[in-house]
Amino acid sequence: MSKRKVKETHMPVGECISQVQMILRERFCHQRLPEKPVGMESQHKHLLELLRRTAVHGESNSVLIVGPRGSGKTMLLNCVLRELLEVKDVNKNVLPVHLNGLLQTDDRIALKEITRQLNLENVVGDKVFGSFAENLAFLLEALKKGDRSSSRPVLFILDEFDLFAHHKNQTLLYNLLDVSQSAQAPVAVIGLTCRLDVLELLEKRVKSRFSHRQIHLLSSLSFIQYLDNVRSQLSLPQDFPDTKFYDEWNDSIKTLCEDQLVVDVLQSHYNSSKDFRSLHLLLMLALSRVSASKPAIKPTDLLEASRVCMVDSKANILHGLSILELCLIIAMKHLNDIYEGEPFNFQMVHNEFKKFLQRKSHSIHNFDKPVVIKAFEHLQQLELIKSMDSSTAKIQKEYQLMKLLLDHSQIMEALQKYPQCPTDVKQWAMSAFG
Amino acid sequence: MVRYFTRLRVRRIYKWGGRPYIFDRKLKSYGFDVEGQEAVTTVTPGQYILIEGNDDEYPFVAKLLKLFGDESHKQKKALVQWFLRLSEVPQNKKLLLGRSPHPQEIFYYLGRACDDEINAESILGTVHVQHVPEDTPFPEPGTKDTLYVKLSWDTKAFNVLDPVLMQDTSASTPPKPAESIHSASKLSASKILSAKRRGSAADTPGVRKKLQLSIGASECLYLRIRNYRAAAMKRRPIVRKRPIVRKRPIVRKRPWRGRPEEEIARPPSGPHTKRPARRYVWLWNLLDNTQELISDGDDDCFVPSKKELQSSSNEEKTDSEEETDSEEETVVKKTRGRNCKTSVRTPHKTPSKKVTPSTPRCATPCIPSRTVPARQPGNILEEARARLHVSSVPESLPCREQEFQDIYNFVESKVMDGTGGCMYISGVPGTGKTATIHEVIRCLQHASDMDEIPTFRFIEINGMKMTDPHQAYVQILQKLTDQKVTADHAAALLEKRFSNPAPKKETTVLLVDELDLLWTRKQNVMYNLFDWPTRRHARLVVLTIANTMDLPERIMINRVASRLGLTRMSFQPYSFKQLQQIITSRLNKVKAFEEDALQLVSRKVAALSGDARRCLDICRRATEICEHSASHPSSAGLVKMSHVMEALDEMFSSSYITAIRCASLQEQLFLRAVIAEFRRLGLEEATFQQVFVQHRTLSRVEGLQPISLSEGLAVCQRLGACRLLLLEASRLDMLQRVRLNVSQDDVLYALKPVRD
Repeated sequence: MSKRKVKETHMPVGECISQVQMILRERFCHQRLPEKPVGMESQHKHLLELLRRTAVHGESNSVLIVGPRGSGKTMLLNCVLRELLEVKDVNKNVLPVHLNGLLQTDDRIALKEITRQLNLENVVGDKVFGSFAENLAFLLEALKKGDRSSSRPVLFILDEFDLFAHHKNQTLLYNLLDVSQSAQAPVAVIGLTCRLDVLELLEKRVKSRFSHRQIHLLSSLSFIQYLDNVRSQLSLPQDFPDTKFYDEWNDSIKTLCEDQLVVDVLQSHYNSSKDFRSLHLLLMLALSRVSASKPAIKPTDLLEASRVCMVDSKANILHGLSILELCLIIAMKHLNDIYEGEPFNFQMVHNEFKKFLQRKSHSIHNFDKPVVIKAFEHLQQLELIKSMDSSTAKIQKEYQLMKLLLDHSQIMEALQKYPQCPTDVKQWAMSAFG
Repeated sequence: MVRYFTRLRVRRIYKWGGRPYIFDRKLKSYGFDVEGQEAVTTVTPGQYILIEGNDDEYPFVAKLLKLFGDESHKQKKALVQWFLRLSEVPQNKKLLLGRSPHPQEIFYYLGRACDDEINAESILGTVHVQHVPEDTPFPEPGTKDTLYVKLSWDTKAFNVLDPVLMQDTSASTPPKPAESIHSASKLSASKILSAKRRGSAADTPGVRKKLQLSIGASECLYLRIRNYRAAAMKRRPIVRKRPIVRKRPIVRKRPWRGRPEEEIARPPSGPHTKRPARRYVWLWNLLDNTQELISDGDDDCFVPSKKELQSSSNEEKTDSEEETDSEEETVVKKTRGRNCKTSVRTPHKTPSKKVTPSTPRCATPCIPSRTVPARQPGNILEEARARLHVSSVPESLPCREQEFQDIYNFVESKVMDGTGGCMYISGVPGTGKTATIHEVIRCLQHASDMDEIPTFRFIEINGMKMTDPHQAYVQILQKLTDQKVTADHAAALLEKRFSNPAPKKETTVLLVDELDLLWTRKQNVMYNLFDWPTRRHARLVVLTIANTMDLPERIMINRVASRLGLTRMSFQPYSFKQLQQIITSRLNKVKAFEEDALQLVSRKVAALSGDARRCLDICRRATEICEHSASHPSSAGLVKMSHVMEALDEMFSSSYITAIRCASLQEQLFLRAVIAEFRRLGLEEATFQQVFVQHRTLSRVEGLQPISLSEGLAVCQRLGACRLLLLEASRLDMLQRVRLNVSQDDVLYALKPVRD
C-alpha cells in the first residue's frame, strides 16, 4: 500500500466500473492465466522439472495429468509452459504440439494435425500431403532421425487423453510412447484426462511403454482457503488506475466476504463442488449486477446469482405449463404412486384425468380427447415424459408406454408457485390416491 | 488423324558365336545365324554388361570375364566382375561415401558375398564404363550411356580404385566395329531396303533392331543376344489401320516382366512413353554410337532409319537424364511424364489412376535441430537418470544370454547356409525381446564385417507402426530397394524377388514386431511372410515377435501356422535377481542407489509384472524424488529406501481413495446414498431417481439443505466423469442407472472421517 503512487488520479465512476468489469471478466472467463496456480505447488514443480529436463537435457518423458473436470489441469499445464518458455535456452528449442481428443477423433486426423503443427516438409501452407500410411511413415521417420542432443524436443500435449485410447489399435499412442522410450528425437508426451481409470484403457504393450507418471490434481481445499480465494479473485490488482476507487472496491469486497449471508451461499457452493469453474460462473453473475449507480457487489447480488445457478431447470418448465398439462402431470404422479413407478400410457392418464373431472372438479370443464392428446404430446416434446419403447413405429400413440421424468418434490414445489392454480387441482395433487 | 500405338514386347535369344576355347569345360561355338531383322547384341569377354536384376530401370552392371557353356549348350554361363550402383549399397553405408554421388557413378565391387558366376541369359546388353581417376572430376554429363567408376567398394568402405584393375578396359571400351564381314557388307543394302520400305512400314508392327558389337580377336567366344521387339512403341503418322501380323516364328519367349501396374496403366500411350523403352536406353544408344545398323532384308519388317533412331534415342537420352539426375520415386515421375504428354496427344485414354497428392519427394523427414545443444548430465543423479532411461543403449544385455545364443545360432546358421527360416518369439511386454534381437543383429553385423559370415541385410517392421497390415509389403519393399509403390504392387514385386533366382542375392533378415497386428481375415500377409522363407531362392530369415505364447494356435489358420513352423521361443518375465542385475549393469559403477533400495524396486516389479521398463522408470523417478528432497541439488546423496518407497507409492497406489477424500461434500454424500440404495435393493445397480431419494434423506440427517434435482444430476455426472461411478447415457436423465466403479469397502474406508 505504502509504495503506491502519491498522486491520485480520479476517473468517473462509470469508467471505473467498466474497468473493473473488464479485469474481472478476463479472470473469470479464463482468458488470462493466473500468476501462480493456487493449491498445486508440488504438482507444478514436478511438471515443470519434467518438462525442463526434456527441453534442456533432451530426456524423453511421458506423463499423465489426472483430475476431475474444472480442477485446473489445462491451467497448470499452461502455467508450466509459460514459465518454461520464459527460460531463454528453452524458448526457441521446443516444439509444442497440441492435440485434443474431441477434435482429433481418429489417428488419421491426429497425424495430419501433428505434421501440420510440426511444420514438417510435407506440409505446404496448411495442407498435409500424402495418405495416412505415408504420413505415419513420414512422421516416424522424422522422429527417428532426430537424436537426443541435436534435435529440438517435441512436446505432445494430448487433451482428453482417454479418447485417444479409443482409436483403432491405439497406433498413435503406441508410436508416441515408443518414441519416448527409444533413442530418437526427444519428446514429452503429456496427457490430460479426468478419468481416474485411464491406465486400464491402454493396451498392455502401450501401457508398458508409458512411464506411469501420473500427476493427480485433487484439490483438498478447505473452506477457509476457498473463501480467501473468492476474496482474491474479486479484488482489484494494485496497478488499478484510480486509487480511491481501488480502496473502496477492495474494502467493500472484504466486508462482503465477511457477511454471513455470503458465507452461507459460498458454503453451499463449496459443498456442492470445489472447482473454480462453477465459482467463476457464480461470481460472473454477481458481477453483472454492478453498475455505475451501484458500484459494489452486495450480498443480495450474490444470493440472487446463486439462486440462478442452483435453480432447478425442470421446475422452471413446469411454471410455464397450462392447467390441462399440469393436470396430466398430476394424473401421472398418481399413477406412479399406484403402480410404483411402472410405465404408463396415454389412455391410463386420460382415465385418471376423467375420474378427477367427474368426481371433484368444479373449475375445470371437460376437454376433448384430441386436445388432451395434444397436451400430452407437448409434454413429451418438453421431455417431461419419455417413451420407454425403443421403436415408436408399431404401437398407437395412445398406448405407448411412458415414464415421468419428474420427482414428486418438483411437482409439489411447482404447484405451490404456480400462479392462480385452482384449489381443487391443488387438493387433487396432495391427496394420497386419485 | 488416327494414331494407334502398340505395345512393346521384347524377347531375347541367346546364341553362342565364335570359337570356344577348349577348356576343362567343353565349349562349343556357334555359327552366325541370321534370322530376320532382330537386333543382335554381341557381348564378348572384357566388355561391360548389363544384367537383369530386380530393378528394371537400373540393371546390374558387371564386367564380363569369361563365357562358357556345357555340351548341350543348354546352359550358358558367364563369369563376371561386379560393379555396384549406389542404390545397391546398404542404406546405412551410403553415408560413407561422404559426397553426393554422380548419377552415373558405379563402384568396383571387391566383396566376396556375391556369386560371380551368372546365367548368361540374364545379360541384357552392353554398356560403356569409364574409369575416372580419383582426383579428377566427373566428365560433363554429355553421354548418358556411360557409367563412371572411381571408387571400389568392399562391403565396408569405399576405396580408391586401383587403376590396374580397370586396365584392360581402355583397350576394349569402344566396342569397335570389327564389324563382322557380313554386317559391313549388308549395311548399304539394308539402307536401301529400309528406305524402300518406309512407305509400307506403317503396317509393320515391329521395329527390330539389330546391333552387333564385335570382338577383340583374342577372345573366341562371344554371346549374341537378339532382341525382338514384337510390337514396337512406334507411333507412325499414318492413317491406315491394319492388324498387326507377326510373321516370324517366335523362337523363344522371354516373358516381359514389366510391372503389372504399368501394363495396365500404359497401353494407349505413344512411342515417347518412357517406361517400356527405358529399359533399352543403353542398347539404343549403343546402336547409335557404333552405327552398326544391319538389316538383312528378307522379311518385310520395318527397320528404323538412322535418323529416326537418332531422334528416338535422343528422347530416350533426355528421359534417362531425367531419371538419373533426380533420384525420384517412380510414381511421381510417371505422373509427371504423363501429364506433360496429355497436352500433346488428343485422345489420351490412359486410365488415370486417382492421383492423390503424395508426399513431395523433396521432403526429407526431419525434426528441426535445436539452436542450443542439449545439456549433458551434471551430477551423479543426472548421470544415473540418463543411464536408467529406457532409451539409453546398454553396453551389454544381461540376463538373456541363453535366448541370445539361441537366436544367434539360428540366424547365423541360416545366413551361413544361405537358406531361410522362421522363428516365433513371445513374451510379455518389457522382457527384452526386441532388444535381444537387435543385439543379435548387431553381433552378426560385426561378424560379417569381420568376414566371418556372409553379408546380410536386416530389415525391421512393426505391426503397430503401420496403418494397415498390407502396408507391411510396402515397408519391406521400401527398405529393401527404396522403391515406393502401392501395397498390391509391392506384394507382387516381393513375390517375384523372393521366388526367382537372382544373381547377387544376400540373405535378408526380417524382424516382424507385434505380429498379431498383421492379422487379416484371410491372413494373406502372414501367409506370405512365412511362405517366402520356404522358397528355394528366397534366402529370407523371418523373426517374429508377439506378446502371447499361443498366438499361432489361437489366431492363425493351419496353413499359416504350419509355415511358421515350430521354432519358438518364449521370454519369461524377469525375476527380481535379473532386474537387479539389469539396473546394476546399466548404472555401471555410477554409485547412485543403495543396495536395499534397488532390491526393493526389483522385488516389487518382479512380483507385479517383471517388466524391465517399469523397473527403470521407477528408479528414474526415485532419483528425481531424491534430488527434490535434498535442499541443494548437488548435496543430494544416494537414493534411499524412502525415496524408492515414495516412487513406488506414486506409481502403484490407486488414486480412487484420494479422489473420494478430495471430493466435495455433496459428492461424498451421493456416494453414500449410492451404497445405501444398493444395500436396500440388494443389487449393485440403481437408477438415479432411487439414489436421489436416499441422497435427500441423508442430507436431512446431516443437517444440510437438500439440493435440487438438477444439481444432484450435476453431482452425479461429475462422479461419472472421473469414473468413480459408471453411468448410462445422460439423455435418460433421472432414469439412468448408476453403478460403482470402486468396491463398496473402498468407498466406506475413504469416507471414514480421518482422525488426525
